[in-house]
Amino acid sequence: MTGLISTNTFWTLWLFVHLILAVGLLGALTHQAMAVALPVRQPAGGIVTRFRAVPAAGYATAVCVLWVLTFLVGSYIYTKYRIYIRIPLEQGGYYKTGGFFDFKEHVATIGLVLLPAYWYFWKNAQNPEYGNARKGVTLVLAVMCWFLFIVGHVLNNTRGFAS
Amino acid sequence: MSTTTTTSRTAPAPSSLAASVKFKTFATAFSISGPVIYCVIQFFNWPLFTFHPATDRLVWGYEAARSGEGPNMLWYGWTATTILIAAALGIIAMMLPERISRKIPLALVWIFPILAIPYVIYSLMPWWTHP
Repeated sequence: MTGLISTNTFWTLWLFVHLILAVGLLGALTHQAMAVALPVRQPAGGIVTRFRAVPAAGYATAVCVLWVLTFLVGSYIYTKYRIYIRIPLEQGGYYKTGGFFDFKEHVATIGLVLLPAYWYFWKNAQNPEYGNARKGVTLVLAVMCWFLFIVGHVLNNTRGFAS
Repeated sequence: MSTTTTTSRTAPAPSSLAASVKFKTFATAFSISGPVIYCVIQFFNWPLFTFHPATDRLVWGYEAARSGEGPNMLWYGWTATTILIAAALGIIAMMLPERISRKIPLALVWIFPILAIPYVIYSLMPWWTHP
Protein backbone atom coordinates (compact mmCIF):
# COMPACT_ATOMS: atom_id res chain seq x y z
CA MET A 1 0.00 0.00 0.00
CA THR A 2 3.09 2.22 0.08
CA GLY A 3 2.47 5.44 -1.87
CA LEU A 4 -1.27 4.96 -2.23
CA ILE A 5 -2.32 5.41 1.39
CA SER A 6 -0.32 5.70 4.58
CA THR A 7 0.14 2.73 6.90
CA ASN A 8 -1.93 4.54 9.49
CA THR A 9 -4.80 5.01 7.01
CA PHE A 10 -4.56 1.36 5.91
CA TRP A 11 -5.11 0.06 9.43
CA THR A 12 -7.73 2.71 10.19
CA LEU A 13 -9.70 1.52 7.14
CA TRP A 14 -9.56 -2.07 8.39
CA LEU A 15 -10.75 -0.90 11.80
CA PHE A 16 -13.62 0.85 10.01
CA VAL A 17 -14.47 -2.37 8.10
CA HIS A 18 -14.49 -4.19 11.46
CA LEU A 19 -16.91 -1.56 12.79
CA ILE A 20 -19.26 -1.78 9.79
CA LEU A 21 -19.42 -5.56 10.00
CA ALA A 22 -20.02 -5.34 13.75
CA VAL A 23 -22.89 -2.88 13.27
CA GLY A 24 -24.53 -5.26 10.78
CA LEU A 25 -24.09 -8.19 13.15
CA LEU A 26 -25.40 -6.24 16.12
CA GLY A 27 -28.51 -5.16 14.20
CA ALA A 28 -29.28 -8.65 12.91
CA LEU A 29 -28.76 -10.34 16.27
CA THR A 30 -30.75 -7.71 18.17
CA HIS A 31 -33.71 -8.07 15.79
CA GLN A 32 -33.54 -11.83 16.14
CA ALA A 33 -33.16 -11.79 19.93
CA MET A 34 -36.14 -9.46 20.29
CA ALA A 35 -38.20 -11.64 17.96
CA VAL A 36 -37.39 -14.77 19.94
CA ALA A 37 -37.67 -13.25 23.43
CA LEU A 38 -40.81 -11.20 22.82
CA PRO A 39 -42.56 -12.80 19.86
CA VAL A 40 -45.27 -10.69 18.23
CA ARG A 41 -48.73 -12.27 18.39
CA GLN A 42 -50.43 -9.62 16.27
CA PRO A 43 -48.94 -7.80 13.28
CA ALA A 44 -48.57 -4.01 12.91
CA GLY A 45 -48.34 -1.86 16.05
CA GLY A 46 -45.63 0.67 16.89
CA ILE A 47 -41.97 0.76 15.98
CA VAL A 48 -40.99 -1.59 18.83
CA THR A 49 -43.55 -4.16 17.72
CA ARG A 50 -42.39 -3.93 14.13
CA PHE A 51 -38.79 -4.27 15.36
CA ARG A 52 -39.78 -7.58 17.00
CA ALA A 53 -41.88 -8.77 14.07
CA VAL A 54 -39.02 -9.64 11.73
CA PRO A 55 -38.79 -13.10 10.07
CA ALA A 56 -36.06 -14.11 12.51
CA ALA A 57 -35.10 -17.42 10.90
CA GLY A 58 -33.90 -15.60 7.80
CA TYR A 59 -31.16 -13.89 9.82
CA ALA A 60 -29.34 -17.05 10.93
CA THR A 61 -26.95 -17.51 8.02
CA ALA A 62 -26.25 -13.78 7.83
CA VAL A 63 -25.45 -13.71 11.55
CA CYS A 64 -23.02 -16.63 11.17
CA VAL A 65 -21.29 -15.06 8.15
CA LEU A 66 -21.10 -11.65 9.84
CA TRP A 67 -19.76 -13.12 13.11
CA VAL A 68 -17.02 -15.00 11.21
CA LEU A 69 -16.12 -11.99 9.03
CA THR A 70 -16.07 -9.62 12.02
CA PHE A 71 -13.96 -12.17 13.89
CA LEU A 72 -11.48 -12.53 11.01
CA VAL A 73 -11.07 -8.79 10.45
CA GLY A 74 -10.78 -8.25 14.20
CA SER A 75 -8.11 -10.97 14.33
CA TYR A 76 -6.24 -9.24 11.52
CA ILE A 77 -6.13 -5.83 13.19
CA TYR A 78 -5.46 -7.42 16.60
CA THR A 79 -1.75 -7.72 15.75
CA LYS A 80 -1.50 -3.92 15.54
CA TYR A 81 -3.58 -3.49 18.69
CA ARG A 82 -1.12 -5.70 20.57
CA ILE A 83 1.81 -3.43 19.78
CA TYR A 84 0.47 0.05 19.15
CA ILE A 85 -2.55 0.15 21.49
CA ARG A 86 -2.06 -2.29 24.34
CA ILE A 87 1.52 -1.34 25.17
CA PRO A 88 0.67 2.38 25.49
CA LEU A 89 -2.43 1.43 27.52
CA GLU A 90 -0.25 -0.49 29.95
CA GLN A 91 2.32 2.30 30.06
CA GLY A 92 -0.48 4.73 30.86
CA GLY A 93 -1.77 2.51 33.65
CA TYR A 94 -5.07 1.67 31.92
CA TYR A 95 -5.05 -1.92 33.10
CA LYS A 96 -8.79 -2.39 33.42
CA THR A 97 -9.26 -1.13 29.85
CA GLY A 98 -6.68 -3.64 28.65
CA GLY A 99 -8.36 -6.33 30.73
CA PHE A 100 -11.67 -5.68 29.07
CA PHE A 101 -10.07 -6.14 25.66
CA ASP A 102 -8.77 -9.57 26.72
CA PHE A 103 -12.27 -10.31 28.05
CA LYS A 104 -13.60 -9.33 24.62
CA GLU A 105 -11.27 -11.70 22.78
CA HIS A 106 -12.37 -14.63 24.97
CA VAL A 107 -16.05 -13.83 24.49
CA ALA A 108 -15.57 -13.55 20.70
CA THR A 109 -14.09 -17.06 20.55
CA ILE A 110 -16.76 -18.56 22.82
CA GLY A 111 -19.41 -16.96 20.59
CA LEU A 112 -17.70 -18.32 17.49
CA VAL A 113 -17.93 -21.92 18.65
CA LEU A 114 -21.67 -21.56 19.35
CA LEU A 115 -22.45 -20.78 15.71
CA PRO A 116 -22.86 -24.33 14.31
CA ALA A 117 -25.58 -25.23 16.83
CA TYR A 118 -27.15 -21.78 16.56
CA TRP A 119 -27.37 -22.16 12.76
CA TYR A 120 -28.78 -25.67 12.99
CA PHE A 121 -31.47 -24.66 15.51
CA TRP A 122 -32.61 -21.74 13.33
CA LYS A 123 -32.57 -23.76 10.13
CA ASN A 124 -34.98 -26.12 11.90
CA ALA A 125 -37.05 -23.34 13.44
CA GLN A 126 -40.26 -25.24 12.71
CA ASN A 127 -39.15 -28.04 15.08
CA PRO A 128 -40.41 -27.28 18.63
CA GLU A 129 -37.79 -29.66 20.05
CA TYR A 130 -35.18 -26.94 19.46
CA GLY A 131 -37.30 -23.99 20.64
CA ASN A 132 -35.74 -23.42 24.08
CA ALA A 133 -32.18 -24.09 22.93
CA ARG A 134 -32.65 -21.76 19.96
CA LYS A 135 -33.98 -19.01 22.22
CA GLY A 136 -31.20 -19.51 24.78
CA VAL A 137 -28.30 -19.53 22.34
CA THR A 138 -29.70 -16.53 20.41
CA LEU A 139 -30.02 -14.45 23.57
CA VAL A 140 -26.52 -15.46 24.71
CA LEU A 141 -25.05 -14.50 21.34
CA ALA A 142 -26.94 -11.18 21.35
CA VAL A 143 -25.67 -10.27 24.83
CA MET A 144 -22.15 -11.28 23.79
CA CYS A 145 -22.41 -9.17 20.65
CA TRP A 146 -23.51 -6.10 22.60
CA PHE A 147 -20.65 -6.63 25.08
CA LEU A 148 -18.11 -6.99 22.25
CA PHE A 149 -19.44 -3.89 20.54
CA ILE A 150 -19.45 -1.69 23.64
CA VAL A 151 -15.96 -2.78 24.73
CA GLY A 152 -14.66 -2.20 21.20
CA HIS A 153 -16.29 1.21 21.14
CA VAL A 154 -14.80 2.24 24.49
CA LEU A 155 -11.35 0.96 23.47
CA ASN A 156 -11.56 2.88 20.24
CA ASN A 157 -12.37 6.00 22.23
CA THR A 158 -9.37 5.30 24.44
CA ARG A 159 -6.92 4.81 21.59
CA GLY A 160 -8.38 3.79 18.24
CA PHE A 161 -9.01 5.54 14.93
CA ALA A 162 -5.92 7.19 13.48
CA SER A 163 -3.82 6.65 16.61
CA MET B 1 -57.45 -22.37 -11.38
CA SER B 2 -54.20 -23.23 -9.73
CA THR B 3 -54.18 -24.66 -6.20
CA THR B 4 -50.64 -23.81 -5.20
CA THR B 5 -51.57 -21.49 -2.32
CA THR B 6 -51.13 -24.11 0.39
CA THR B 7 -47.79 -25.19 -0.98
CA SER B 8 -46.48 -21.66 -1.15
CA ARG B 9 -47.40 -21.09 2.52
CA THR B 10 -45.67 -24.22 3.74
CA ALA B 11 -42.42 -23.61 5.61
CA PRO B 12 -39.47 -24.23 3.31
CA ALA B 13 -37.77 -27.57 3.74
CA PRO B 14 -34.39 -27.31 5.50
CA SER B 15 -31.31 -27.62 3.34
CA SER B 16 -29.61 -31.00 3.24
CA LEU B 17 -27.10 -29.95 5.90
CA ALA B 18 -29.80 -28.56 8.17
CA ALA B 19 -31.87 -31.72 7.68
CA SER B 20 -28.98 -34.01 8.57
CA VAL B 21 -29.15 -35.73 11.96
CA LYS B 22 -25.40 -36.33 11.75
CA PHE B 23 -24.77 -32.60 11.36
CA LYS B 24 -27.06 -31.88 14.28
CA THR B 25 -24.97 -34.18 16.46
CA PHE B 26 -21.73 -32.62 15.21
CA ALA B 27 -23.00 -29.04 15.68
CA THR B 28 -24.37 -29.57 19.18
CA ALA B 29 -21.31 -31.52 20.37
CA PHE B 30 -19.00 -28.86 18.87
CA SER B 31 -20.90 -25.95 20.42
CA ILE B 32 -21.38 -27.61 23.81
CA SER B 33 -17.75 -28.67 24.16
CA GLY B 34 -16.25 -25.51 22.61
CA PRO B 35 -16.58 -23.11 25.58
CA VAL B 36 -15.38 -25.78 28.03
CA ILE B 37 -12.39 -26.68 25.86
CA TYR B 38 -11.49 -23.03 25.42
CA CYS B 39 -11.40 -22.49 29.20
CA VAL B 40 -9.28 -25.62 29.70
CA ILE B 41 -6.91 -24.66 26.86
CA GLN B 42 -6.51 -21.19 28.28
CA PHE B 43 -6.02 -22.49 31.85
CA PHE B 44 -3.25 -24.91 30.82
CA ASN B 45 -1.96 -22.52 28.15
CA TRP B 46 -1.97 -24.91 25.20
CA PRO B 47 -1.94 -22.75 22.08
CA LEU B 48 -1.54 -24.58 18.78
CA PHE B 49 0.92 -21.87 17.83
CA THR B 50 2.33 -18.59 19.13
CA PHE B 51 2.52 -15.44 17.04
CA HIS B 52 5.10 -12.73 17.60
CA PRO B 53 3.57 -9.63 15.96
CA ALA B 54 6.65 -7.40 16.09
CA THR B 55 8.69 -9.87 14.04
CA ASP B 56 5.78 -11.67 12.26
CA ARG B 57 7.19 -14.94 13.60
CA LEU B 58 4.90 -17.96 13.99
CA VAL B 59 6.01 -20.96 16.04
CA TRP B 60 4.22 -24.19 16.92
CA GLY B 61 2.98 -24.52 20.48
CA TYR B 62 3.82 -22.07 23.23
CA GLU B 63 6.78 -19.75 23.11
CA ALA B 64 7.37 -16.96 25.61
CA ALA B 65 8.05 -13.42 24.45
CA ARG B 66 11.72 -13.09 23.58
CA SER B 67 13.83 -10.19 24.74
CA GLY B 68 13.97 -7.42 22.16
CA GLU B 69 11.33 -9.05 19.93
CA GLY B 70 8.16 -7.55 21.41
CA PRO B 71 5.19 -9.38 22.89
CA ASN B 72 3.82 -12.81 21.99
CA MET B 73 0.19 -13.52 21.10
CA LEU B 74 -1.47 -16.72 22.31
CA TRP B 75 -5.15 -16.09 21.56
CA TYR B 76 -4.92 -17.23 17.93
CA GLY B 77 -3.34 -20.47 19.07
CA TRP B 78 -5.89 -21.01 21.85
CA THR B 79 -8.72 -20.49 19.35
CA ALA B 80 -7.16 -22.88 16.82
CA THR B 81 -6.63 -25.58 19.47
CA THR B 82 -10.21 -25.17 20.67
CA ILE B 83 -11.68 -25.47 17.17
CA LEU B 84 -9.61 -28.58 16.38
CA ILE B 85 -10.50 -30.40 19.61
CA ALA B 86 -14.17 -29.40 19.47
CA ALA B 87 -14.34 -30.55 15.83
CA ALA B 88 -12.74 -33.86 16.78
CA LEU B 89 -15.29 -34.33 19.59
CA GLY B 90 -18.05 -33.44 17.15
CA ILE B 91 -16.84 -36.10 14.72
CA ILE B 92 -16.62 -38.67 17.52
CA ALA B 93 -20.16 -37.74 18.62
CA MET B 94 -21.37 -38.31 15.03
CA MET B 95 -20.14 -41.91 15.30
CA LEU B 96 -22.29 -42.58 18.36
CA PRO B 97 -25.56 -44.48 17.89
CA GLU B 98 -28.49 -42.10 17.48
CA ARG B 99 -30.18 -43.42 20.63
CA ILE B 100 -27.19 -42.04 22.58
CA SER B 101 -26.56 -38.83 20.63
CA ARG B 102 -30.23 -37.90 20.97
CA LYS B 103 -29.74 -37.75 24.74
CA ILE B 104 -27.26 -34.85 24.55
CA PRO B 105 -29.06 -32.02 26.44
CA LEU B 106 -29.45 -29.17 23.94
CA ALA B 107 -29.72 -26.58 26.73
CA LEU B 108 -25.99 -27.02 27.39
CA VAL B 109 -25.36 -25.05 24.19
CA TRP B 110 -26.33 -21.84 26.03
CA ILE B 111 -25.65 -22.90 29.65
CA PHE B 112 -21.92 -23.67 29.20
CA PRO B 113 -21.01 -20.30 27.65
CA ILE B 114 -22.73 -18.55 30.57
CA LEU B 115 -20.82 -20.73 33.05
CA ALA B 116 -17.57 -19.99 31.20
CA ILE B 117 -17.84 -16.25 31.80
CA PRO B 118 -17.04 -16.29 35.57
CA TYR B 119 -13.93 -18.36 34.84
CA VAL B 120 -12.87 -15.95 32.08
CA ILE B 121 -13.27 -12.99 34.45
CA TYR B 122 -11.27 -14.86 37.10
CA SER B 123 -8.52 -15.72 34.60
CA LEU B 124 -8.10 -12.01 33.89
CA MET B 125 -7.56 -11.21 37.57
CA PRO B 126 -4.04 -9.71 37.04
CA TRP B 127 -5.68 -7.00 34.92
CA TRP B 128 -8.36 -6.19 37.51
CA THR B 129 -6.06 -6.18 40.53
CA HIS B 130 -3.06 -4.44 39.01
CA PRO B 131 -2.08 -1.56 41.30
